Amino acid sequence: MNVADMVDVEARRKAASILRNTMMRVLEDVLRGRPPKLVIPKRTLSNTIFDPEKGILVLGDEVFERNMLDMGETRRFMQTLLMASIIYQALVENEYPTIRDLYYRGKHTIIYRDLSGGLREENTWDEQAESDSAIRDIEVMSGLLREQMLILSKEKGKVVGNMRIRSGPDVIDLSKLGHGAYAIESTPDLIEFLDVDAEFVLVVEKDAVFQQLHRIGFWRQYKSILVTGAGQPDRATRRFVRRLNEELGLPVYVLTDSDPYGWNIYSVFKVGSITLSYESERLATPKAKFLGVSMTDIFGDVGKKPYLTEAERKNFIIKAKERDIKRAKELMNYTWFQTPRWRKELNMFLEKKVKLEIEALAGKGLKFLAFQYIPEKIQTGDWID
Amino acid sequence: MSKSELERFREMSVAEFFAKYREVAGFSNPVRALYQTVRELVENSLDATDGHGIAPEVRIYIERIDSDRGWCRVTVEDNGIGVPPTVMPEAFGKVLFSSKYVLRQTRGMYGLGVKAAVLYGQVTTGNPVEVQSTTRGSSYIYAKKLYIDMKRNEPVILEEAQFKKNVSWHGTRVSLIIECDWQRAKSRILEYIRRTAIIAPYADILIQTPDGEVLYFPRTTKKMPKPPKTAKPHPHGVDVETLKTMLKATKAKTLLEFLEVEFQSVGRQSALEFLKSIGLRPTMKPKQLLRGENGALVVAMVEAMRSFKFRAPRSDCLSPLGEELIKVGLKRMFNPEWVDAVTRPPRAYQGHPFIVEVGMAYGGSIQPSEEPLLLRYANKIPLLYEEREDVSYKVLSDVNWKQYDVEMPAPLVVLVHVVSTKVPYKGVGKESISDVPELEAEIRNGVLELARRLKRFISAKEREAEVMRKILVLSKYIPEIARSLKVLSKDPGSWKPLEPGEERDIVDALVSLVARNIELPRRGDDSGRSVEDLIRSIISEVRVS
Ligand SMILES: Nc1ncnc2c1ncn2[C@@H]1O[C@H](COP(=O)(O)OP(=O)(O)O)[C@@H](O)[C@H]1O
Ligand SMILES: [Mg+2]
Repeated sequence: MNVADMVDVEARRKAASILRNTMMRVLEDVLRGRPPKLVIPKRTLSNTIFDPEKGILVLGDEVFERNMLDMGETRRFMQTLLMASIIYQALVENEYPTIRDLYYRGKHTIIYRDLSGGLREENTWDEQAESDSAIRDIEVMSGLLREQMLILSKEKGKVVGNMRIRSGPDVIDLSKLGHGAYAIESTPDLIEFLDVDAEFVLVVEKDAVFQQLHRIGFWRQYKSILVTGAGQPDRATRRFVRRLNEELGLPVYVLTDSDPYGWNIYSVFKVGSITLSYESERLATPKAKFLGVSMTDIFGDVGKKPYLTEAERKNFIIKAKERDIKRAKELMNYTWFQTPRWRKELNMFLEKKVKLEIEALAGKGLKFLAFQYIPEKIQTGDWID
Repeated sequence: MSKSELERFREMSVAEFFAKYREVAGFSNPVRALYQTVRELVENSLDATDGHGIAPEVRIYIERIDSDRGWCRVTVEDNGIGVPPTVMPEAFGKVLFSSKYVLRQTRGMYGLGVKAAVLYGQVTTGNPVEVQSTTRGSSYIYAKKLYIDMKRNEPVILEEAQFKKNVSWHGTRVSLIIECDWQRAKSRILEYIRRTAIIAPYADILIQTPDGEVLYFPRTTKKMPKPPKTAKPHPHGVDVETLKTMLKATKAKTLLEFLEVEFQSVGRQSALEFLKSIGLRPTMKPKQLLRGENGALVVAMVEAMRSFKFRAPRSDCLSPLGEELIKVGLKRMFNPEWVDAVTRPPRAYQGHPFIVEVGMAYGGSIQPSEEPLLLRYANKIPLLYEEREDVSYKVLSDVNWKQYDVEMPAPLVVLVHVVSTKVPYKGVGKESISDVPELEAEIRNGVLELARRLKRFISAKEREAEVMRKILVLSKYIPEIARSLKVLSKDPGSWKPLEPGEERDIVDALVSLVARNIELPRRGDDSGRSVEDLIRSIISEVRVS
């Protein structure tokens, strides 16, 4: 058995055992004649807390009990156990189901008799939303992310750079992919980092900008690893970036548009997403830094020259939409956006009511972006933590 | 003034009167007449049976004997006490001749019914009435054909015979030929019979119609209502004429004795007090009272009796059905989900004792309707017409059913039975009862008491439905849950896919767990249903498809 297989087997063994232990508490209740229940941390906004120490969003300790004998919960109780059994079986039988697969595997018709003896039918679940929700409940109950349970999802993130990794039986050199890039796999925990010759990680919001920086040879020149989540990052991309930071000690810089949407993407990388805060513990990279584009990059600040001239500003900036304003105001409510630097950014945005896309900086010249703007900002420490 | 303008006077006999004004007795046309004939004969038959503790067997035959002229023969046969041959001619051939002119609860009262039918037949078809009857002790069956001499109001016997009785039958068979309209009377008559079967479930009733149909209502219970006793009048209930008649007929030597002996609810003490209150000597001769000017003393005495506080009238002259029989009757006709009845305590109005009985049935085969189906009875006679005039209808209209958890339209039947020595009918038609306050209050009490019981039933039923729903919801996923848990419990080291039935131990544990946590509401007719059985039946078919 090669190393890669062992990684896989070990991950399966661990996940299966945790999942089994979690659910065996229910079986014990049943066999002892106690009303069986699932104790599930609440996935609500009110139970989402920013942990300033860790710098990430975490689930609070509010839980709710899904009691089998509670008429309103019995169906979901069944769904949760059904999903757990399917995932467990897939783990043991060396499979890699997608969430869609899990939906189909669990979907079948229950036939029972009503009280007057007539045959009735009911599906275990009808919509994928129901089976997805069961997966999330299992994640929070067991503390296992779906990636750890080897559940696949669509791959969206990409990476290139000076490093070699092992994925399955293959060793892949991320510096030898031509114009292409390596698609970050659904199970980033199974990736083994081999040799790395990089000094930092640059995460760019947009796929197009990622491609431009790749072609112009940014990562070669600056010994870095280039990552994109292509918009809202998926879980695998976030987990991958987290591992780069945590396990390799590489600083992570995030480059997004200068607008609330971009800032929020940075926030998802750094502290986690609000609706899925239970994942942050493993997905967030609290040390990620916001490199740009910041409002002060556009307009300058006390002791800071703007990167755009008056004329360029006129050409490149866009008027903020009502949506953006609303979004910015929301961001201001979050603790981790309440640092002096962020307050300045957000206030400036609300005052000027304009935004800027990174492509605009590339428009000023790709070389400007790759060889002046980015390195200069990193060198001078002109980022927001 | 010419002679021709002078009014000409003559006397008319009662027989002539009822032959001429037959609508007064309910014989206004061939439809009504057929219905009324059946009623009079059936009610006489029932009086002759249940009124004497005999479980009735009544056979009704209606035959079309001349369809061109619209003639029918109506024959009713019973197993009653029979009519002695000596009174038979008058009983069937003399208007206002009756055995029921006493204070006792019977269906017939006036001595008119059967004679009105005889007169109607006689006038419309010219045929006599045929009667065969035999009393319980008699060894002969007497048969007579007779008609009524209208001018003299006397029976005229056309034929008579007597046969040695070699069957154990006792009872009466009456046969009449009348002009009729069966088609249009049909639904009324059948409804009348149906309602009679409800109120008399102890009776065995069969009707054969001209269409050749036979409707049979077999006896559904052996229980019979207690036959009514004959009662003496209550001092509150007598009028001047009655008192005069009583004074003339009495054998009492003194007023004190007269009061004590001839009236009910009057003891020596109250008689003395009463006489003192009107200043009459207890030793005075009763007949002396009649001597006063224009019967002034009698009038004074009636007035005084009305206001004096005597004991309430006795009610043993009444024959209520009792709760059991009402329930049996409603059950057999409506097959309801719930039925109950209440017999209210005896009360009196104007010296006449009465008892109100109310029955209520809900659900089952009852057709839901906007208003409850009201079945009215007076002295065991169904009242079919003038429903909206009736005091019971008035009481029901005041009930807010929502308050009793009954959502209209609802499958609800309300039966109201009034028994009295004098039912306060609204009109001569005897189809509706007037709203005498004492009566109305009793009907209301009965209806509301049952409505409260119905409410209890409905909410218990809802609670039960709730529990049943719970059993269903908690049970139907048991196999799925058990299978999931079984899979999760398997050791990855020695992994094999789940075999069918492997999870049985967990299913069993879940079944008893759910069963232990559900309590079935107690029901009277609980026949050992266990929650476990219910759960097992719910999941008996469960399979994965
Ligand atoms: N089927 C019968 N069985 C016994 N007696 C009967 C029967 N029919 C009639 N009678 C007797 O004939 C009488 C007169 O009957 P009817 O004219 O209907 O008047 P009512 O029923 O008001 O007394 C009854 O009182 C009863 O004594
Ligand atoms: Mg009669």
